[in-house]
Amino acid sequence: MTATAEASVRVDASGLTDVGRKRKQNEDHFVIVSLRKAAEVRQTSVPDPHVFDRLQGQEALLFVVADGVGGRAGGAIASETAVTSLVEFLADAAGSVHGLDTDREHEFLERLEHAVRETHQRIFVQGGGRGQGMATTLTMAVLVWPRAYLLHVGDSRAFYLHKGRLKQLTRDQTTGEFMVEAGAWTEEQARNAPTASALVSALGGDDLTVAVGLVDLQPGDVLLLCTDGLTRHVPDERIAEVLGRATDAESACRELVAGALDGGGSDNVTVVVARMAG
Amino acid sequence: MIQKKVCMVGVFGTGKTSLVQRFVHSMFSERYLSTVGVKIDRKPIQVDGADLTLVLWDLAGRDGHEDITASYLRGSHAILYVADGTRRETCDQLPELRALARGAAGEVPEVLALNKSDLKERWALAAADEQGLSRAFDLVRTSAKSGEGVEEVFRRIGRATLAIKEARS
Repeated sequence: MTATAEASVRVDASGLTDVGRKRKQNEDHFVIVSLRKAAEVRQTSVPDPHVFDRLQGQEALLFVVADGVGGRAGGAIASETAVTSLVEFLADAAGSVHGLDTDREHEFLERLEHAVRETHQRIFVQGGGRGQGMATTLTMAVLVWPRAYLLHVGDSRAFYLHKGRLKQLTRDQTTGEFMVEAGAWTEEQARNAPTASALVSALGGDDLTVAVGLVDLQPGDVLLLCTDGLTRHVPDERIAEVLGRATDAESACRELVAGALDGGGSDNVTVVVARMAG
Repeated sequence: MIQKKVCMVGVFGTGKTSLVQRFVHSMFSERYLSTVGVKIDRKPIQVDGADLTLVLWDLAGRDGHEDITASYLRGSHAILYVADGTRRETCDQLPELRALARGAAGEVPEVLALNKSDLKERWALAAADEQGLSRAFDLVRTSAKSGEGVEEVFRRIGRATLAIKEARS
């Protein structure tokens, strides 16, 4: 998919998901959406039709990956609900992304966070309201060029490649990370603990913490959203190399997923790559 | 509810994220993870009977590779500078950071958190140095680890943002 987030920047975006080599079902989902609320002038007698340009509305691009929690009933349903609900909620917010001043930007961020919380509630109820029925991670980015707004729950990840350096934009919300952060475990204890990868925050689960952030991108940067099926098997250096070398988003996705499968494919793997092609 | 955007500005490793963690989540971690881009947290507070929400923009610190991204600072209602009292160079860079911040955000209230006050044996500033900083900034000594000064520094910046509104109205 190629979209134009602004006249000067072409965003080449693509996504790919694979069941992996060990699982029977793919519980991951992703979506790439172009959001625009615009008035298109078909014909006019006005001498300078550019006066209507401001009605075009700036395009926003939405990227989402969701990883239904393994071992729980309905993981695939949870991740599908996350993706479909967010698109539904955010379609309404499309008109509010143009010309964001500080107040409107905070309002926009609140709307995004609200959409995530509403989605959580929907999945929680679908799961029987017990917090153990179904759950999913969520990593999403809304790109209103040049700014990418990020909302994150769980242990899927967002990265961006900037001047050849890969930077992780999210932090895993897992027991291991939480215990190390709290000083209760060492990094080594976290690596060896069987419960380290358990989520401490998930959509549809008992606890929800929505991490919010943003980053301003530049032409040449690459945004990557992925589930842990990728990062379990493909080290950051390799991810950086693939993203830096690829000439299009689709081939980058294919190569990253192939790397995860070659590395063992122990889990479902999903990637979304967006190249700020300039 | 009144919302005020407060940008946290400083050199890498001065404890910006730790101050936010302490203030918003009552947590402290010894582990250092550098911030990428901006992390955003909200904290409702009450200052002098007025309710407001501080929207805290925790900016990636300036390091050898990259400067502060000026576009993040636009529209700020206040700037909270953070320096590390055990690393003199983090104070030496404050004038440059202030010029950058003022260039992007204009003349908005500023407070300086002189952080890591619990590390007394490693403190790198003489009394005269701190007096100099106090003349240039509204300074609060803070420790994200012990909690010293943390409530105070955010309360002070909240009060300053309200004072601006009152002065303008």
